[in-house]
Amino acid sequence: MTLNLCVLTPNRIVWDSEVKEIILSTNSGQIGILPNHAPIATAVDIGILRICLNDQWITMALMGGFARIGNNEITILVNDAEKGSDIDPQEAQQTLEIAEANLSKAEGKRQTIEANLALRRARTRVEAITMI
Amino acid sequence: MWVSAKSSISNISLLSFRSHQNPFLSLPHISLPHSHSQSSQKTQVYCGIRELRERIDTIKNTQKITEAMKLVSAARIRRAQEAVINGRPFSEALVEMLYNINEQLQVEDIDVPLTNVRPVKKVAIVVITGDRGLCGGFNNLIIKKAETRMAELKNLGLDFTVISVGKKGNSYFRRRDDALVDRFIEGGTFPTTKDAQAIADDVFSLFVTEEVDKVELVYAKFVSLIKSDPVIHTLLPLSPRGVVSDVNGKCVDAMEDEFFRLTTKEGKLVVERDSVRTKREALSPLLQFEQDPVQILDAMMPLYLNSQILRALQESLASELAARMNAMSNASDNAVELKKTLSMAYNRARQAKITGELLEIVAGAEALRQLD
Repeated sequence: MTLNLCVLTPNRIVWDSEVKEIILSTNSGQIGILPNHAPIATAVDIGILRICLNDQWITMALMGGFARIGNNEITILVNDAEKGSDIDPQEAQQTLEIAEANLSKAEGKRQTIEANLALRRARTRVEAITMI
Repeated sequence: MWVSAKSSISNISLLSFRSHQNPFLSLPHISLPHSHSQSSQKTQVYCGIRELRERIDTIKNTQKITEAMKLVSAARIRRAQEAVINGRPFSEALVEMLYNINEQLQVEDIDVPLTNVRPVKKVAIVVITGDRGLCGGFNNLIIKKAETRMAELKNLGLDFTVISVGKKGNSYFRRRDDALVDRFIEGGTFPTTKDAQAIADDVFSLFVTEEVDKVELVYAKFVSLIKSDPVIHTLLPLSPRGVVSDVNGKCVDAMEDEFFRLTTKEGKLVVERDSVRTKREALSPLLQFEQDPVQILDAMMPLYLNSQILRALQESLASELAARMNAMSNASDNAVELKKTLSMAYNRARQAKITGELLEIVAGAEALRQLD
């Protein structure tokens, strides 16, 4: 019994195939999904999604969204998703540094919130590469 | 040989005489026996030969450019349409889940900030235009639609603010000295999730902080390659039936403003949606929420907003490309026609000049011979 995983972004379908297991980071912590999991709906935080495929773990950086799991069908809807292998390490590191600089420069509540989000996204991308 | 030519010599010698004296006077629109071509009646060409040649060259270059622009637009339209199609699975899945969750939440009393229907005092209008010109009346149409909407709102006594996306709209509104909130320069040639996110964040914060009570989107809906419609779509608040009333009555323009509008091919997708819904119906009663339903909805609303805005951006891009393709195609056709007219005039002028020179030579030779 394998799970059918579908990762969708507004632009395109990032992943659509069968997997053995996934580890998802949600607002309330990381959860692992194995076949025949009970149906749940959960919000997905900005974090890493780990997919186990043929005994190999693939990482993907997700930028927040929503996931629905039911009857061995997982649908993850996110704003943006990037496979770890598709991210350029140099560029991700640079983005992280820029985001940190922006955060220290941010003034006002709204800018701080936005800078924080940007920082988390950049950090997730860097982590996705280092985890491989 | 010469006898037969003599009858027309007087005409042509006059011509050649005149042209010799003043090369910039007009030549060939005098009625020649076989000039029944309409071009000689419609367009009177008042140039000398050299100028005609230059004009023909210029028009040839212009035609090459417009033809190239048309082909480029045609190629990019296909990409834009593909982008719209690629975004469909996301919207479908999202819509379905929202629906399911809404159903389950109706028993509980959840307060979702984005569906708050408040009496409207201020409206935010997001106007999506293009970045470049040469697209016929496209940008103008959108701006006019936005202007009529603003006048309507003013008549209703409501305040409004404009968020402009796209360089053409930006330059227009900048000159107008209206109260604008933000001006976005469209980032790049293709609308990405980041652009949509920037707009969505702005709109979201405006709505949630109750600075505005209603957010509307003005963009060009892509109907077909030749036709596109500027439409007004209410983005927030999300209401189950799509009818948002202000202090007086219906605020939304008359169009298909359903809760979940999916794609351009309405008919086709409605059918699909129904069938998909029935397939998943069995799941909904079993669905458990990992977190608070409020948190989950909090996560889904921005997704929904993003996808709506992104879709509007993509459709607007497709409409702009279609308009540009049509405009450039018309321009190419006009250039071809103009070139034909000018070429005919040029050839007539050239031939008249040659004939004149020939006749002068012949006449001179005749005269010399007679003297002998």
